[in-house]
Amino acid sequence: MNKAIFLFIFIGFYQLHAQKLELGKVSIKELQEKVCPTDTSAAAAILFTKAKTVYIYEKQGFYLNHIYEYRIKIYKKEGLKWANFKMPYRIGYESIRDDALNFSEAITYNLVNNEIAKTKLKNEGSFKRNVNKYWDEAGITMPNVNVGSVIEFRYIIKSDNMVKYPVFNFQYDIPVKYAEYKTEIPEFFVYNPIFSGFQEVDTQAKVELGYQNYDDKNNQGLHMSYRQVNSVHKLENVPALKQEQYLDNIENYRISVDYELEKTRFPEVPEKIFTQTWEDVARVIYKDKDFGQQLGKKDYFLSDLRLVLKNNDSTEASKAKAVFKFVQNKMNWDGTYGYLAEKGVEKAYHENSGNVAEINFILVSMLNYAGLNANPVLLSTIDHGIPVYPNRTVFNYVVAAADVDGKTVLFDATNKYTAPGILRLSTLNWVGRLIRGDQSSIEINLAPSTASKVSNNVMAVLDATGKVTAKVRRQHSDYLALQFREKYGNLNAQAYQDDLAVHFEVAAIEGYAVENKLTDFSKPIVETFNLASDNLVERANDQLLVDPMLFFSTAKNPFQEEKRTLPVYFGFPKHQKYNIFIDVPQGYKIESVPKAVTIATPENVMLFSYKVLAQENKLQILASLENNASVVSADFYEAMKEFYNKAIEKQNEKIILKKL
Amino acid sequence: MDKFFSMKHFFLPFFIACVQLAAAQNYLTCLNIPDSLKQNANAIVRWDQTDIDIHSQRNMDIRKKRVVTVLNETGMAAIDAYEPYDKRTHVRSIEATVYDAFGNEIKKIKKKDFRDQCILDGVTLFSDNRVVYLDYIPTQYPFTIVYECEVQTSNTAQIPRWRPMGHYFVSVEKSLLQVTCPQELGLKKQEHNFSNFNIKKIVEKDTQLSYEASGLLAQKEEYFSVNYNKIFPWALLGLEKFNLEGVDGTAKTWKEFGKWYAESLLSDTEELPDATIAKVKTLVGAESDPIKKAKIIYNYVQQKSRYVSIQVGIGGFKPMLAKDVDRLGYGDCKALTNYTKALLGAVGVPSYHTVLYGDHDKIDMESEFISVQGNHMILCVPSDTEYYWLECTSQDVPFGYQANFTDDRKVLVIKPEGGEIVKTQNYRDESNTQFCNGTYKLTTDGTFSAKIQMDSEGSQYGPKYHLEHRRPNEQEAYYKAFLSHINNLKISKMTFSNDKESARFTEKLDLDAIQYATITGNKMLFPINAFNRYDGNIKRIRNRKTDFEIQRGSYDKDEVIVELPTGFTVESLPENVQYDSKFGQYKTEILKKDESTLIYKRTFLLKKGYYQHNEYEAFRLYMEQIAKNDNAKIILNKI
Repeated sequence: MNKAIFLFIFIGFYQLHAQKLELGKVSIKELQEKVCPTDTSAAAAILFTKAKTVYIYEKQGFYLNHIYEYRIKIYKKEGLKWANFKMPYRIGYESIRDDALNFSEAITYNLVNNEIAKTKLKNEGSFKRNVNKYWDEAGITMPNVNVGSVIEFRYIIKSDNMVKYPVFNFQYDIPVKYAEYKTEIPEFFVYNPIFSGFQEVDTQAKVELGYQNYDDKNNQGLHMSYRQVNSVHKLENVPALKQEQYLDNIENYRISVDYELEKTRFPEVPEKIFTQTWEDVARVIYKDKDFGQQLGKKDYFLSDLRLVLKNNDSTEASKAKAVFKFVQNKMNWDGTYGYLAEKGVEKAYHENSGNVAEINFILVSMLNYAGLNANPVLLSTIDHGIPVYPNRTVFNYVVAAADVDGKTVLFDATNKYTAPGILRLSTLNWVGRLIRGDQSSIEINLAPSTASKVSNNVMAVLDATGKVTAKVRRQHSDYLALQFREKYGNLNAQAYQDDLAVHFEVAAIEGYAVENKLTDFSKPIVETFNLASDNLVERANDQLLVDPMLFFSTAKNPFQEEKRTLPVYFGFPKHQKYNIFIDVPQGYKIESVPKAVTIATPENVMLFSYKVLAQENKLQILASLENNASVVSADFYEAMKEFYNKAIEKQNEKIILKKL
Repeated sequence: MDKFFSMKHFFLPFFIACVQLAAAQNYLTCLNIPDSLKQNANAIVRWDQTDIDIHSQRNMDIRKKRVVTVLNETGMAAIDAYEPYDKRTHVRSIEATVYDAFGNEIKKIKKKDFRDQCILDGVTLFSDNRVVYLDYIPTQYPFTIVYECEVQTSNTAQIPRWRPMGHYFVSVEKSLLQVTCPQELGLKKQEHNFSNFNIKKIVEKDTQLSYEASGLLAQKEEYFSVNYNKIFPWALLGLEKFNLEGVDGTAKTWKEFGKWYAESLLSDTEELPDATIAKVKTLVGAESDPIKKAKIIYNYVQQKSRYVSIQVGIGGFKPMLAKDVDRLGYGDCKALTNYTKALLGAVGVPSYHTVLYGDHDKIDMESEFISVQGNHMILCVPSDTEYYWLECTSQDVPFGYQANFTDDRKVLVIKPEGGEIVKTQNYRDESNTQFCNGTYKLTTDGTFSAKIQMDSEGSQYGPKYHLEHRRPNEQEAYYKAFLSHINNLKISKMTFSNDKESARFTEKLDLDAIQYATITGNKMLFPINAFNRYDGNIKRIRNRKTDFEIQRGSYDKDEVIVELPTGFTVESLPENVQYDSKFGQYKTEILKKDESTLIYKRTFLLKKGYYQHNEYEAFRLYMEQIAKNDNAKIILNKI
C-alpha cells in the first residue's frame, strides 16, 4: 500500500515536469505567462536551472564535465538584463589544464501570432575575454529578447580540477521555479557537499554501476566499470535573494552547494585524504612549505629586533606592542590576501612590502623570538564568506595571536591603523583557527568581546533667545577609533570639520582640536570642539522647549525594514555615552523635565538609560545607548526596531523652561 | 639646401630633449619643492612632458614623461600611469623608476611588472579595449616616481587633450606640451582658461606647437563646483586631415565633417528587410503627421529592442547594421539610433543622427573646434517648428524626453547636406515641477496618517518614473529615504500612473507613522511641512575659489490640509514667510480653515544659473533659511 502511494506520487511528479524540464521544450503557457506566480513583482524568473557533474576517462586519467542548463522567463523590461549572461572560469592552475567553457543550444523563444518562434544564438552573440591570471570569462547576449520571451542555454565547463567543483546556486536575485544539481561520482573520489542558506535542500543519493569506454595509448578500445554515487539535490520555488541592511555578506545566505574533495581511493594506491576535520585542515595548511617553513625563519630580522627591544621594559604587553608597531610601520600591504607566502618572508621583509601572510608571519616570528608565545590564526574575510566546513579553501587570511599577560591577543600588521587586539573590520567574521607549532589547533572567536565606546561630554549654555552654544569633548575607543582613523586619518582637517558641521547641522565647527589621532592607536582619540545652533529650542509664549540631548538626539531609527529574513550584523559591540550639562538662561526656571527611564531589549542586547537632573539653573543629562552584540538573528529585528522607537520617543520629550 | 634643412629639422628637437632631461634630474629629490606647491597638495607634478609627433595622417607617436612626488596615499592617483590601447594603438614602451625623498633610486618597474587588463565600464558587455597600468605599493612617503611611456597610434582624429592640472589637491611645478605635425595636415588647437594660470606659448606654428605651464598651485575641490572644463586650463588639439579607426577624413567645417561622417561611417548601414518595412508601414497605416508616425515607430523600437554595449571590432564609431539590429533586437546607442532612423525612413519621416555628450552635467560639443567629439548618439526628428530628440537606448523613456542626460547643450546634427551644431531642448525652471496635494491628520497620541498625491514633470519626472517597476521592498526603501524625516513611516498603499504622452508621473500614497508629533506634558509639537522638506545642509566653504552652477531649476508647490487632533488648541503656529533672492523664490503660508483644520501652502522656485564664487555664501544662507523654515513646528496645547 505504502509503496503504491509512493509510486503514484513519484509518477505524478515525473509527469508534472517531464514536459518542461528539458531544453527545447518551451511551452506556449510559459510564453503566455504575464507575471511570476510566486512573486508578482519579479522582473524575470529562472524556470529551471539544472546542472550535472560527470567524470570522463581519457588516456591520462579522469576529467570533469560540469553541464549547466537554464530556462529563463522575462516578465518586465527590468528583466531584460537576464538576456545577457556571463560566467567566469578558472585558468592558470599550477599543474593541470585550464578549464574550458562552451555555450550551446542558446535559443530565444517568442510567441508570434500564438505560435512559438525560435531565434538561435549565433557566433556574433558569444564572447570570451581574459580577466586575469586565474580567470577567463565567457558570455552570451541572446538575440530578439522582449518582455515575454523565454530564453534557454547550456554551457559546459570542462575541468581537470577534482578538488573543488564550481559552486551550484539554487537561489538567485530573481525567483527560481526549479533547481536541480546531479553528480555522478566514481568510487575513487569522496566528496563533502557543503550546503549554505536557510532552506534545506532535498537530497537523494544511491550507489549504482558506472562505466567508461576509452582508448588507450595504442588507440585500443577499453572498458572500465566501477561503482559510483549518484546524487540529486533539488529545490522548487526558491524565492529571490534580497539585499538587506546590516548584512555581512549576502553570499553567506544564498542557497547553494559546494563540493569539496575529501579523499581519493584508487585501487592499489593508498587512500589519499584531503581534509576532514578542522584539525586536519590546520595540519595540512601548516605543512605547506609556504606556511610552516616561513614561520621558522628568523635570521633576516634578528639585528632589527634587537634594536626594537633594546630600550623596552620587557613586560609582555610592552614587548608585543613594540614589535607590532615596528612591523606595522615597516611593512606595506600589497593588497593581496591569502594565508600562504608568495615571495617569502625574507624577500618581503627586505622589500618592505608583502601579502597578508608574509607580513603577519614576520610578526608571528618576531613576537616568538621576543619571548612571547605567538601563533598564526587562519580566518576568512567577510567578503570571502563564513568558514562553514573544514577545508583549506574557506580561509583567505591570517593574523597573529600572542599570549600577553595570560590573555590571547590578536594582531594584524597589514593595516596602518590597527592596534594590539584591534583587527581590520573586514576580518571580524565568525571564528578563526589558531595553529600551533606542533600542528595542533584551536578555534578563536573573532567577535570582539569588549564594547568600543564613544563618550561625549558637553558643557552647554542656553540663552533667552533659544540659542545653544556648547563645548564638546568626545572620545572614540577601539573599533570606533579605528573607523575614525581609516576614514579621517588622511583627510584634510578642514574637509573633516566641514563633514562634522554637516553631521551636527551647524554652519561651522569652531575651536576644533584633536589628540592622539595618529600617535598611539591603542589609545582613544580625543576631540574637542564648539557647536552653536538656534534650532534646538522651540519657543512657545513664555516657555522654552529644549531638546535634552541637544546636538546628539537619535533622530532616525536605524531599523527600517518591514520584514527581516537574514541575520543582522554589527561587527562589534558599541556603547555611546553622553554627559550633558546645560546652563539655563537668566530669568527662566526649570518647569519640567522628562522622567528617567531604562529601556532594554530581551537579553539586554540593547540598552538605553536616560536621566535628566535639574538643580536650580543647571540641567544634567546622563544617557547611554548600548549595543552589546556583534551579530543577532533575524527574529530579533522587531525587538530592536521597537527599542529604537522607544528610545527616540523618549529623547524627543522636551525640557520645559518657564519665564519668571 | 634640402639636406641642410632636414638636418636642422632633426637636430632641434634632439637638442631640446637633452636640455630638458638634464633639467628633469633636479626633480628627483623632495628637498627642493617650493612651499607654495606643497600647500593643499597630496602630490606635486614636478615635471610633466608630453611630446606628440604626428608623422602622417595615419601615424602619431605620443611620448610621456612624468615626474611626480607623492606626499601621501591620496596623492597616488596623480601618477597617472594608465595607458589604454586597442588594435590601432600600441604601447611601445612603458616603465617607471621610484626614488626616495633624497633622490636615491629604490625600485625600477619594467613593462612586464605593469598590469594589463580589459576595460569594462559596467554597462559594456564585452570590449576589445585594454589598458596597461602601474600598480605600485609605496613603502614610504614621500617618494618620487619617474614614469615614461611611448604610444603609437593611427588614430590621429583623437589627439589627447592637454590638461596640465589633471587632479584636485595636486600642484604642478612644470608641464610641457610639444606637438610636431606636417604642414599639410592642418594642425589646430583651442585653448581654454589659459589666462588665469602661468602658461607660456613657446612655439605656435603650423607645424609645431609648444606650451609650458609652471607653478600651478594645488586646487581644492569645492562642493557644487562648476565643471573642470570651465575653470582649469586645457587645450583641444586636432587635424584637418585625420584618421579615425582606419578611416581617413578631412574637414574644415562642421558641414564637411558631417558629410564625411555620414559617408564614411553611416552610409550603407540603414538597409532593412522587406518584411520589416512592410510591418512598420502597416503599423503607421494612414497616419500622415510625421511626428505621430515617429511616435509609433519609436514605440515599436522600444518594445522590440534592448540596449547592449559591445565595443568589439569596428569600435566606437560605426553603427551595427540596421538589418542586424532588426534580427537580433539589441544594439548600442549608435546601432539603436541608426535602426530607428532606418525605420523612420521606411515610413517617409526624415531624421538625423546626432552626436553629443550624454551626461547629467551639461557638456557642450566645442562648436568652434571641428573634431571628433562626443560620447553618445541620439536621433533628431524635425517637425515644421522644432526638433524632437529621441533617446533610443531606453525602453521606457517618453518620446522626445531628454531631461537630465541630453538636454540644453550643443550637439552635432548630421544632416544630408552636412553637419550642424544645434542646441537641444532646455527644460525651464517652471516646467520642472513637483506638485503635492493631500491631507494628513493627527491623533491625540501623535500618530499621523496621510493621503497624498504627487505629480512630477520636466526634469523631476526622470528620476521618478522608474519607481513604478521597482520591487515593493525597493519602493518602500525609496519612500523611507525620500521622507526620511518621518520616523516609523509605514506605507499602506502606493499607486502610480505614468502619463508618457505628457511625461507626467503621479504617485498616490497612503501613509502613517506613530510618534510623528512629540508629546511633552500637555504640549504636542510637530513640523507642519510633512512631505517636502529641504534638508540638504550645504557646507560652508571659507574663501571659496570656484564658481558654482545650478544646472536645472525646479518648481515645487505643496498644498496640504492638516487635521488637528481633537482636544487640543493651537498654542503657536509657524509664521508665514517669503524669501526671494536671485537663487529662487520661496513662500509658505498657513491658513486656518476652521478650529481643527489648517491649510499649509508652500511654493519654491529654484532658479537655474551660473554664479560667481563670492555668491556662494549668500546661496548657502538662503538654502539654510529654507531648511530651517521647512522644519518649523506647530505647538498645540491639550485643553
